[in-house]
Amino acid sequence: MSAADPIVETDEADMEDKAEDLPKQLLKDKHSKFFKHMLGLLPEAYQSHDSSRLTLLYFSLSSLDLIGALDEITDKQKKELIKWIYSLQVKPDHEHGYSRCGFFATDSLPESIDANYGHIAMTYVALCSLIILGDDLTGVDRESIVQGVRALQLDSGSYQCISFGTESDARFVYCAACISYFLNDWRGMDVEKATNFLLSIQSYEGGFAQNIGRESHGGSTYCALAALQLMGKLDAITEESRARLIYWCLNRQQSGFNGRPNKPVDTCYSFWLGASLTLLGAKDFINKECNFSFLMTTQDRYMGGFSKWPGYLPDPLHSYFGISGMYVISGEVEVHPALNISMRAYRHWQSQCTS
Amino acid sequence: MTFYADRPEWKDVTPIPLPYSENEPVVQIMYSERFKDVYGYMAAIMQKKEYSERALNLTTDAIECNAANYTVWHYRREILRHLQSDLQDEMKFTESVIDDQPKNYQVWHHRRCIIEMTGDPSQELDLTEYTLSSDAKNYHAWDHRQWVLSQYKIWDKELEYIDDLLSKDLRNNSAWNHRYFVIENSQGWSRETISKELEYAGAYIKKAPNNESSWNFARGIIKKNKMNYSDFPAFKELCVGMNESHIPSPFLLSTLADINIEEGNKTAASNIFEQLKDLDSIREKYWTFKQDQLQVGS
Ligand SMILES: [Zn+2]
Repeated sequence: MSAADPIVETDEADMEDKAEDLPKQLLKDKHSKFFKHMLGLLPEAYQSHDSSRLTLLYFSLSSLDLIGALDEITDKQKKELIKWIYSLQVKPDHEHGYSRCGFFATDSLPESIDANYGHIAMTYVALCSLIILGDDLTGVDRESIVQGVRALQLDSGSYQCISFGTESDARFVYCAACISYFLNDWRGMDVEKATNFLLSIQSYEGGFAQNIGRESHGGSTYCALAALQLMGKLDAITEESRARLIYWCLNRQQSGFNGRPNKPVDTCYSFWLGASLTLLGAKDFINKECNFSFLMTTQDRYMGGFSKWPGYLPDPLHSYFGISGMYVISGEVEVHPALNISMRAYRHWQSQCTS
Repeated sequence: MTFYADRPEWKDVTPIPLPYSENEPVVQIMYSERFKDVYGYMAAIMQKKEYSERALNLTTDAIECNAANYTVWHYRREILRHLQSDLQDEMKFTESVIDDQPKNYQVWHHRRCIIEMTGDPSQELDLTEYTLSSDAKNYHAWDHRQWVLSQYKIWDKELEYIDDLLSKDLRNNSAWNHRYFVIENSQGWSRETISKELEYAGAYIKKAPNNESSWNFARGIIKKNKMNYSDFPAFKELCVGMNESHIPSPFLLSTLADINIEEGNKTAASNIFEQLKDLDSIREKYWTFKQDQLQVGS
């Protein structure tokens, strides 16, 4: 074996150097501060996140929920948050029928603009956020949401994210499955078509891609598996395919996980692959200690939050998936692997939102 | 640059201010003055459905403030259709946004829409090649390239392009995936093609026995096409030969384990799993499970 062909490509000298000083635990107080801060005012640099603003809210709330800090938000603030989320719900109208329905990401463009449409990923994170906050979903116009979801499914079985015509891929099939599950109403999905689409995106490598013929990817693998599970179709994957899938997923672990072969490990894949392997009943094969040690290198011990790679600045997405990835694998706090909310929130949904 | 509020040619438009609260903030982004100015006018223009040259320029500014705003991109396409604009300018515009933000979903989708409008994909291979030259694994660029190839059936130069990419980096998994994609769509997987491709992958496997990408390709083309290792004796010989030379590679061993299981040699497979527990220790529990499974199946 040549020096240019190491089994694992990491800069070990660099990592060992700092390993001793690193905290050996999740710095809950720091993360709590990091996310509570995000619930309020965000600096100008977040302008480019304006079109996924609701996602920032979901990342913050679900993180606080998982680390047990949700009670640090006052009831008054929770009410404000719920009110704001509902203000983003798009009502059906004469001209568009249900085609615009769902939730907006932000309020920077008014609902009165015809070109302004709901987005399926925003509908998903809106429902998650409401459930985490303890809302009972009575303010959700269920019919319009279901019809809005229905308008997004394509002939291929896949989903686009906005009905005026956008890209379509496994991410939005996942959102459609979560929404249908939360509302306990599957009229928005032709489940058979969606299943066929998801089966078709499993690549020769064993993992799932965003679309047919594309490269297997940790994120799309999660979306496909979680959607199939919610749809009750996980067993549509053949035994042989499942075995290759598990092998591919496990090979993503180098220390933490990467999303594709020969890519560097990245914080968020602890969740995507950890949850995928959980859904496949193969979680016990994960080397928990190695994953934990990697996540300790991306946890920001001063500001709180997690970064994508060691030595980088923390961001909301990787901060959330650092926490949920750690917990889904360790089991220390229960995470619903398909819905991507805490089991506490899931039980609240079961008891309060399913009537 | 001058705020829209200070431009005489925009005097006829009353901007719609962004709802903004520092008192009861909810993930409230502290938008810059420029952002507020641009989006205030953007909202007003979309409200009155103005499809004009100045509206087009306004969307350029709105996209510069936030290139992820899918509503603005959508409105921009409506303007282009109304004005029947010269789409060559639009091609240049998307190229500059892609250059700046190569992982932005909206701009790649927009680019696809423009190609569908012009029906001319002649610049797309160069564009994606350019994007991939700075990030050879950019998922968006590959997605666009593969869409163009299957839409317009331009397969003739692709295998050469892949050879070139793999000669630069044999671990480029996207290039391996692309090889599968091109062959599947241009000629299909006959037994002869699989044999030839196993030879191709085999040469790379010998060069770098721990390269997951070439192993995945070799094993994938056999299994995805529902064939057996025994259908390709040359590939088996390659694996056996490498093993006899004691080349330490978990991918080699796990392939050999599969070959042995296929041939019913459980003891041999079990011995290989034993070695894997040590060589691929991060997956020790998995290899133990695979070893135990041999007994269950008997
Ligand atoms: Zn990531």
